[in-house]
Amino acid sequence: MALPSTDREAAASVAGPEKHHRVEFTAGAGEYFRIWIVNLALTIVTLGIYSAWAKVRKRRYFHGHTRIDGESFEYRGNPVAILKGRLIAVALFALFYAIGHYAPLYIWAIYLVLLFVGPWLVVRSLAFNAYNTAYRNVRFAFSGTYRTCLGLVLGYGLLTLVTLGLGFPFLRRRLVQFAAESHSYGTTRFALAEGFKKPFVRPYFVVIGVSLLLGIALVVFFAGVGAVAGAKAKAGAGVPAWMPSAMIAGAVVFYALIFLQIAYIKARTVNAVWNHLSVGPVRFESVLRARDLIWLYFSNFVAVVLTIGLATPWAAVRSMRYRASKTTAIASGTLDGFAQAEAQRVNVAGEEMADFFDIDIAL
Amino acid sequence: MTEFDAVYYDGRTSARKPVRVRGYTLVIQIVGEGLRLDVPLGQVRVDPPVGGTRRALHLPDGAQLQTDDHAAMETLFPRAHALEGWVHGLERRWPYALAALAVTAVFAWWSVVDGLPLAAKIVAGFVPVAWEAKLGEQTLGFFEGRLCRPSALGAARQQTLQQRFARLTAGLADGYSYRLLPRDCRGVGANAFALPGGTVVMTDALVKLAQSGDQISAVLAHEVGHVRHRHGLRMALQAAGLAALAAALFGDATSITSLATTLPVALLQSGYTRELETEADDYAFHRLREIGLSPKAFAEIMLLLEKDHKKRSGGDSKDYFSTHPATAKRIERALAAP
Repeated sequence: MALPSTDREAAASVAGPEKHHRVEFTAGAGEYFRIWIVNLALTIVTLGIYSAWAKVRKRRYFHGHTRIDGESFEYRGNPVAILKGRLIAVALFALFYAIGHYAPLYIWAIYLVLLFVGPWLVVRSLAFNAYNTAYRNVRFAFSGTYRTCLGLVLGYGLLTLVTLGLGFPFLRRRLVQFAAESHSYGTTRFALAEGFKKPFVRPYFVVIGVSLLLGIALVVFFAGVGAVAGAKAKAGAGVPAWMPSAMIAGAVVFYALIFLQIAYIKARTVNAVWNHLSVGPVRFESVLRARDLIWLYFSNFVAVVLTIGLATPWAAVRSMRYRASKTTAIASGTLDGFAQAEAQRVNVAGEEMADFFDIDIAL
Repeated sequence: MTEFDAVYYDGRTSARKPVRVRGYTLVIQIVGEGLRLDVPLGQVRVDPPVGGTRRALHLPDGAQLQTDDHAAMETLFPRAHALEGWVHGLERRWPYALAALAVTAVFAWWSVVDGLPLAAKIVAGFVPVAWEAKLGEQTLGFFEGRLCRPSALGAARQQTLQQRFARLTAGLADGYSYRLLPRDCRGVGANAFALPGGTVVMTDALVKLAQSGDQISAVLAHEVGHVRHRHGLRMALQAAGLAALAAALFGDATSITSLATTLPVALLQSGYTRELETEADDYAFHRLREIGLSPKAFAEIMLLLEKDHKKRSGGDSKDYFSTHPATAKRIERALAAP
């Protein structure tokens, strides 16, 4: 359903006036801190077994506090299933870690395996999460297949390789499109309008362009520092005292820039996707701002470091609150007309492993 | 009888219907516009409470009630979810949360200081020596040819080295097949390292730096200590454990924030390295005595290494996060060794 804006307005006028539902996130940092710390302590006391329950409680807390039109989301994952998936994931992760650490020469084998297992993990993970998320007692579903996902990863992966990384934005774009369009709410498919493509890819190229310029500047900086220091060292004066500080300053600038780029890309791509996403009579609006995200990430980082981790729940809650405050669901008509789909059980193993390997194509 | 307001979903569509629910001992009665439903209490499944989030009652045929009336839920289902109900009680009160914080803090502290090293030691004990040897081969393959070339020392000198090493490792009977590889590694200066499984690499620069054969034996004894105590394996296990611990504790926030955990992890690891170095030193002192040499030789070569390091880096060698214990302290311990 890729409606151009004029058609969309026409459709809306048929179905009645549009209603804006701001996404609400009503969790409190204090309340979540208590849940988080009790989760941690119980996980420790039970030697990790409780972690599955902890995960479910955390998810249920976050889903339950996310509301649209006054109704909250629901997480229905089963802790016992998650525990089993987790055990498999831990074993595999340990194996991969051992190979990576001890047999770095075989690291390519890991990447090869991950290349084929990764898409499977992504698909299973999305399916599990969708199946276990409900809103107004109607479940979400994910119908994407491993074969499609693998095809995309291999095809666009090759493109990325051949173009020395320039194809990466297109790989991500295609994966996000796959993820979005394979979701449905009940029997209603999500649709991603064509228009998302340009605004999705553009920020990557802005970052690549700016990075090239800055990269050159940094190389010149380091080379300059090195040359001066080298000349002094040769002259018998030893390495000058300011040399390490200059190098550290350069590194800090480098990481700060990466930080800015990630925040900028995140804000722009999330907006691009959500502003072109629709499900039945509902479309979305997302107005994340790069500078807000930069401040959010930075202040979270500082707070977590300064509190030796205790600010983690606060950081998680305020990130979600920001995200929700900038997202609106716009419905032409009521949200009553979505039909439940036939339920299909979904295996948990993939989702747990994807969790461990940090594989994520977040929307 | 308990009465509460709820929203009813029939399980087929997303249509919501505000209802009034009356709960009796055996049945709940749902009344709304065009709806009147009696459901036996035994067929109603209630979700365990989490924070202040809305409660869901699952009815037969996928229908559902949602309500914010937590008090009514307590009265209707007093014994549902014994475990999670108890957890919910803990999560609601600050004193319990603070107790949980204390448990977590004590555990984190203990893990880092004692738990992880101990666990790594125990786990390492289960890894067969043959595996360790394989791992050592892999590591060696990684820098052979890249960082290091075969030694440029004369054949006679190399033979003396091998004899010294043979004397050190003779009769150890610990299952390791010890082997000394003299190597010319320009980039790393005067150094020696032990690989898991028994291979010890010593750079030409170190051989040239040493003023006596006993000093070389001292360094080799230290490296044998690393092998015997399985330090390579233990370091890797500890690193993995630390990473897992950090991820479990703080992996909750956004991924960028979790970057905040990498720095402390790196610092803690250098602390582990120092401990292992001390352990290897102790073994060296003991072994040197056993074969009739004095730990003084260790003190001497440490002094030379420090001077050499200072010369090469041009400045003070006392870096803050030094992976080796301060040299002065090691020298002191060597001189005081029994």
